[in-house]
Amino acid sequence: MKIIDWIDERISLEAARKFAKKKEVPVFYGTVWYYLGGVALFLFIIQIFTGIMLTFYYQPGINTAYESVKFIVSKVSFGWLVREMHSWSANLFILFIFLHMFTVFFAKAYRKPREMTWLSGMLLLFVALGFGFSGYLLPWNELSYFATRVGTEIAGALPFVGDFILKFLRAGDEVSGATLTRFYGFHVAVLPLVAILILGVHLMLVQFQGMSVPPELEQKPEKRRGSIPFFPNFVLRDVTVWLVVFNIIALLALFFPWELGNKADPLAPAPAGIRPEWYFMFMFQTLKQIPAHFLFMEGELFGVLIFMIGGAIWMLVPFLDKHAGDPNFSDKKWNRVGIFAVAFIIVMTVWGYLV
Amino acid sequence: MKHVLTITVLVFGTLLSGDVLRKDACYACHLAVDEDRDEDARIMTHIDEDIHLQVGLSCADCHGGDPTAFDDPDAAMWDNDTFIGAVPREDQPDVCGKCHTDPNFMRQYTASVRTDEIQQYWTSQHGKLLKEGNSKVAVCTSCHGVHGIFPKDDPRSPVYPTHVPETCNSCHGNADYMAEFNIPTDQFEKYQTSVHGKALLEENDIGAPACNDCHGNHGALPPDVVTIADICGTCHVNNRKLFISSHLNYDMLEMGAKQCIECHGNHGIQHPTDDLLKVGTQKFVCQSCHEQHGDKAAILATQMDSVIDSLSVRYERAQKKIEHAEQLGMEVSDLYADLDDSRRALIQTRTSIHSFNFATVQKTAEPGFKATANALEGAQGALAEYNQRRVNLFIMIMAASFLVIMLIFKIKNMQKKS
Repeated sequence: MKIIDWIDERISLEAARKFAKKKEVPVFYGTVWYYLGGVALFLFIIQIFTGIMLTFYYQPGINTAYESVKFIVSKVSFGWLVREMHSWSANLFILFIFLHMFTVFFAKAYRKPREMTWLSGMLLLFVALGFGFSGYLLPWNELSYFATRVGTEIAGALPFVGDFILKFLRAGDEVSGATLTRFYGFHVAVLPLVAILILGVHLMLVQFQGMSVPPELEQKPEKRRGSIPFFPNFVLRDVTVWLVVFNIIALLALFFPWELGNKADPLAPAPAGIRPEWYFMFMFQTLKQIPAHFLFMEGELFGVLIFMIGGAIWMLVPFLDKHAGDPNFSDKKWNRVGIFAVAFIIVMTVWGYLV
Repeated sequence: MKHVLTITVLVFGTLLSGDVLRKDACYACHLAVDEDRDEDARIMTHIDEDIHLQVGLSCADCHGGDPTAFDDPDAAMWDNDTFIGAVPREDQPDVCGKCHTDPNFMRQYTASVRTDEIQQYWTSQHGKLLKEGNSKVAVCTSCHGVHGIFPKDDPRSPVYPTHVPETCNSCHGNADYMAEFNIPTDQFEKYQTSVHGKALLEENDIGAPACNDCHGNHGALPPDVVTIADICGTCHVNNRKLFISSHLNYDMLEMGAKQCIECHGNHGIQHPTDDLLKVGTQKFVCQSCHEQHGDKAAILATQMDSVIDSLSVRYERAQKKIEHAEQLGMEVSDLYADLDDSRRALIQTRTSIHSFNFATVQKTAEPGFKATANALEGAQGALAEYNQRRVNLFIMIMAASFLVIMLIFKIKNMQKKS
């Protein structure tokens, strides 16, 4: 008796089989963009596995964090590979989330009935950024320590709640061992739990509603649209892309290893070249360009508020773009907003690295 | 009423104490006279910053006279018995010594102040010649300045460590001025190019020796201690320790040779390199006294050089390998600890040649060879691991790529069937 039959006898797999057979993936010029979300999911899975392996050796604490990471990369068998894959897949994870978000935006896939999918995706982006911010501090090296100091200071610039957020994030007035423990807790417990819950909702919505197609294609009868079965045809394609991404991560891990740098010393002056992770660079560079005082408020506060308002508008675009589902409506306003956002992020990020 | 008056006087006295100089006739008049002079000829430019005036002394404490006679210059100066005017050079040690030789007086300004300067001065070449009537020699003001004397640890002072060479050179570098003394005048020129001079004057390392660190300051003389090694040894402790226990210490004393100076020079002392031991080259330092070939000194120099050279080459090789491994992303911080041990041993070995004993040199170098071997072995291990990683990764990528190809075939097949 086959194992699968053994299981089938106990819990009927027929429903799952039927669903998988029935599910179709549209085939058209934009099918390639469907893989981006899948790649982000694959990278998240790598994160979970490599992250769990790192917790076997990582010890949070100002006297142990740096040392344990050093131990992992130098003494633990394949520890270097696990750390490198964790770091690289974390960066690619955020990159693919951004790409996924922008393709969804320009394809107007956020339109009715997928508003909740867009919202849950946006929440996943914020969680991913939280993962990045909290994980950056964990090796407790110079760059991560001072970048966290600057990052939490920016959060502290908010009116009314800034001071509370600053102290909550730092677990005190300064970035210290308590901050490290708190960030560790967020990174390995709070954020994964939140991420899995939101990801569950996000994937469930995708399964219920199927893949979105462009408005002009949507108007054609379903039978006249090209499609392939989700299983096994699309899944095999997905796995193929995942393997290619896996190979890329392995190559990056070997040829572009992440430096551990020097251990953080809170009493030492900040070293030159303090910069946040690349995905925060556009915000950091923008804040640097705003004068110390702007209008009637501090420049930093002004910048933070602008980003918050921009983020809120971006998040609510399914409700603001009233004509997203109408292929005959030629209002390109939101496309222009999207192009501006992409150009702004690219220009500010490149500028941040050049100066 | 009496108490009120006392308090008023005290309060006003305190408030006005900063302005005490303004109540001094010497100060008030000479300041006015100074304003009419050219800038270079003024004598009161830095008077307010002078340490003596800062601690409450007045012009009259050095020059005599009556500082209360405001409108009467004759009463303030010429008619006053205590007035001595500009202090003659030959009288300066005594005038300054009035206070600077009195521990009880000086203690009120600082607990650790020395009071032997004048005593030392009279033992110096400067002091001796002054006593003989030669007033061209340096006196107190020649080095410390006149009206505007700063404490020695004030960077504006001419005797602040970084200014000492230039201060001494203002007389000693002037060939015309020094002609009658018949001593060289190129010391400063040489000193500027020396390892000490560069450290002090270019890098502002005030730990580096200036003129006074070897010659003394108030008791300045050509070094006159039993061995030169005692002078250099105040800083180069290990070199001195090795040298004075070597046979060369006594041999050189007997010969009347100048020990350290014979090999390293004095004012123009350069950073010693391993070339000083290279027999058969121009730089071989022993040849100035010893015959070059077949001499015991040449044999010893070759032996010592071979140890240093061997350790040095291995150290550099290990360093390069470790840096290479680090560039490839390997974790090598432990190896840097070995490399530090090796470097320390190399420095100690270079120092140990002052024992002029091959066995001592060999023994000193031993831990260096061990540390270097560890560092080299570790670096080679790191590089081997890196290569192994590449091989493993290649296998992994090939396996994954094979899977990708198979999947592509499978997908194509499925497409055909559908």
